[in-house]
Amino acid sequence: MLENYFPVLIFILVGAVVGALPLILGWVVSPSRPDSEKLSPYECGFEAFEDARMKFDVRYYLIAILFILFDLEIAFLFPWATIFKEIVSTDTIKWFGFAEMMVFIAILVVGFVYAWVKGALDWE
Amino acid sequence: MDFKSVVFYLFSAVLVFASLRVITARNPVRAVLYLVLAFVSGGGIWMLLEAEFLAITLVLVYVGAVMVLFLFVVMLLDINLDRLREGFWSYLPLGATVGALMALEMGVVIGGSYFDLFENRVPALVTDSNVKEIGRLIYTDYVYPFEVASVILLVGIVAAIALTGRQRRQTKAMDPAQQVLVKASDRVRLVSMPSEKLEDSVPQAGE
Amino acid sequence: MTLAEMPFILPDLRPASAELFVLAMACLILFVDLFVKDTRRTAVFALTQLTLVGAAVVTWAGTSGEVVYTFSNMYVHDFLADMLKQLLYLTDIIVLFYARAYVVDRPLLGRGEFYTLTLFATLGMMVMISANHFITIFLGVELLSLSLYAMVALNRDSATAAEAAMKYLVLGALASGLMLYGMSMIYGAVGSLEIGEVAERLQAGVANHSILVLGLVFLVAGLAFKLGVVPFHMWIPDVYHGAPTAVGLFIGTAPKLAAFAIVLRILANGLLTLSYDWQMMLLIMAVLSIVLGNVAAIAQHNFKRMLAYSAIAHMGFMLLGLAVGVVGGDARFTLNAYSSALFYVVIYVLSSAGAFGMILLMARAGFEAEDLDDYKGLNRRNPWFAAMLMMLMLSMAGIPFFVGFFAKFAVLQAVVASGQIWLAVVAVIFSLIGAFYYLRVVKLMYFDAPADPTPIQAPLEVKALISANGLAVALLGLFPDTLMWFCLLAIRLSLSVFA
Repeated sequence: MLENYFPVLIFILVGAVVGALPLILGWVVSPSRPDSEKLSPYECGFEAFEDARMKFDVRYYLIAILFILFDLEIAFLFPWATIFKEIVSTDTIKWFGFAEMMVFIAILVVGFVYAWVKGALDWE
Repeated sequence: MDFKSVVFYLFSAVLVFASLRVITARNPVRAVLYLVLAFVSGGGIWMLLEAEFLAITLVLVYVGAVMVLFLFVVMLLDINLDRLREGFWSYLPLGATVGALMALEMGVVIGGSYFDLFENRVPALVTDSNVKEIGRLIYTDYVYPFEVASVILLVGIVAAIALTGRQRRQTKAMDPAQQVLVKASDRVRLVSMPSEKLEDSVPQAGE
Repeated sequence: MTLAEMPFILPDLRPASAELFVLAMACLILFVDLFVKDTRRTAVFALTQLTLVGAAVVTWAGTSGEVVYTFSNMYVHDFLADMLKQLLYLTDIIVLFYARAYVVDRPLLGRGEFYTLTLFATLGMMVMISANHFITIFLGVELLSLSLYAMVALNRDSATAAEAAMKYLVLGALASGLMLYGMSMIYGAVGSLEIGEVAERLQAGVANHSILVLGLVFLVAGLAFKLGVVPFHMWIPDVYHGAPTAVGLFIGTAPKLAAFAIVLRILANGLLTLSYDWQMMLLIMAVLSIVLGNVAAIAQHNFKRMLAYSAIAHMGFMLLGLAVGVVGGDARFTLNAYSSALFYVVIYVLSSAGAFGMILLMARAGFEAEDLDDYKGLNRRNPWFAAMLMMLMLSMAGIPFFVGFFAKFAVLQAVVASGQIWLAVVAVIFSLIGAFYYLRVVKLMYFDAPADPTPIQAPLEVKALISANGLAVALLGLFPDTLMWFCLLAIRLSLSVFA
């Protein structure tokens, strides 16, 4: 069972090493002589005017939350997809198994249309 | 120690480290990124328990979507780091007490003999993949909660749009398609009027 | 096990037709709202009201005394559910009529979302009322809560509303977490989440008692949060106060019916074997709520806050009825005790709707009639409304021959029957203390000079409705038997103890 995921584990490990190694190498090998001028933010020769942090537009938040909601919808589609063949080949729940997912999607399509017409998806 | 245990300890070590960094990191953006790491290693541990669906959902939903939202919120709020740290020492006793209590409870639950039901409760029939087993239940017995869940998602959409809403149009960007459609008659309108004599109602220059 | 081998029967959709109807209409109204340009949202309002009336008809058509399970026993259709749903639609209709003028005057509140979220919250309550499975209960609670959080915050520009929504969200999420934790503990001990099966397995005595009690504690704490009883009451005053009055009216009425349903289904249907444990918890919470609610309400100057503390006290009183159902393993008094609690909650919802309705009636565009001082001299401004509010207040105080008195009387009778005389004495003493602040409102209306002598404007239907509401309190006080009979019937036909 778990053996199937062995390549994934290898992939994660290789990814971690490839990501971390250059950082570690750079930290170990390169010379580092910081002073206050080097570390201060550079803004065309002026003193920095303000903090780099600023308020983000609330629209980013809206997009992110809509993304979460539809992402969850997709998460519910996975188990359905894996047993879809079984559903179709079982006579008693053939149409039931199909219809319930269509209802699920339809309810969310209502939400999608709502978001669309309300203009939650356009950015101007 | 077999290979599985090695992997388990690897993931657990990363998880513990990342969780500690979540609460100790000075920069909230970094804290969120450590939380991502914690979720990924948590997903790895679930995978070891053969709870594939949960592991994938954790990565897909939490890392993929919820953490993006967290990042946006952290940026959205423009948190003042120094003000955030002010109350640390005054909250410490209460926080430590709650933490100690929770640790105690976990110890009781895990260490005690309470969950002696573990052995006989694990259904022996799970031969297929975990995802399929979940699917077989969700789409038959649990169809009612499943549809209610979709309504909850719908309410989430409606609520999010209602609350963030749409203030006024902020950008002054031009739409080229509209611009090229313009006709000369839209720009200048010539109105023919009968000429009028300047009466003394208009003050003369130099008076 | 493949799908073909599973013992699965296709669910019968008919028992749940009211839910399906409300869901379909809510989606439809969501669309209508998108394309209607009218800023008063008259079409949306009318459709919402029609939906509620339609749901009442659908529920009425399906009403029978039988207990029917469907959706693999996740859904139960019984007389208690039908009765509570009818009351729920009625409450919603009243709430929307009262709220109408108020939200139209306030553009941020009067958007179509106010109506659609009300419908979704109603759907959530219907799911709760008909739930026979811990997961369904949880999802119903979440559907309700999510809609309510959004409704409290609907008025984006108000800082107090945003604060109230934030508190409500955080504490509500905490309560949901507690409930879920308790459910998982019980699942760990019993191995099932279906209420009937949990009860059977508990009866068989296979489960580990200490782990069950641990789960029970969390579950009861979560339920207490949702009901808003001491010590889990902190959110009530802030949310009642901070929420727009129209939303406060909704939060203060309909959800109590649904919360009562899930408490009854979880504790009395599922965990009756553990009644000794949870009755003790309910008793403590009930006494604390009655004491704290009544005492703290005296100190309030804000009418909404006063009603919030009064809600805490009333919910405590209602819990008394639930806490004395089983005496020493004897279920002789169960029917009386639970039906008195049901009667109490129905009457509370009725009076609370009227009181909040009066606040909405007095409010105008740009003016909230929240302070007790705003009610000074109401008698001189409009004697009829003053009389209505007086009747509502007297009923809430439990003055004899208003219906609130009979509600309290029924619960006290159950308490005395269980042999806990001291409990009845405490409840009576603190109700008397509580009567003070209700009577203070009456005194302000009749004996003080009005600060603002302008007569009160209200649409005709609201005038009619508030009069009906006030008169209902008086009339039910004279003839409480029919409602009491329905409550007895609902409990007897629907609880598994009596099957």
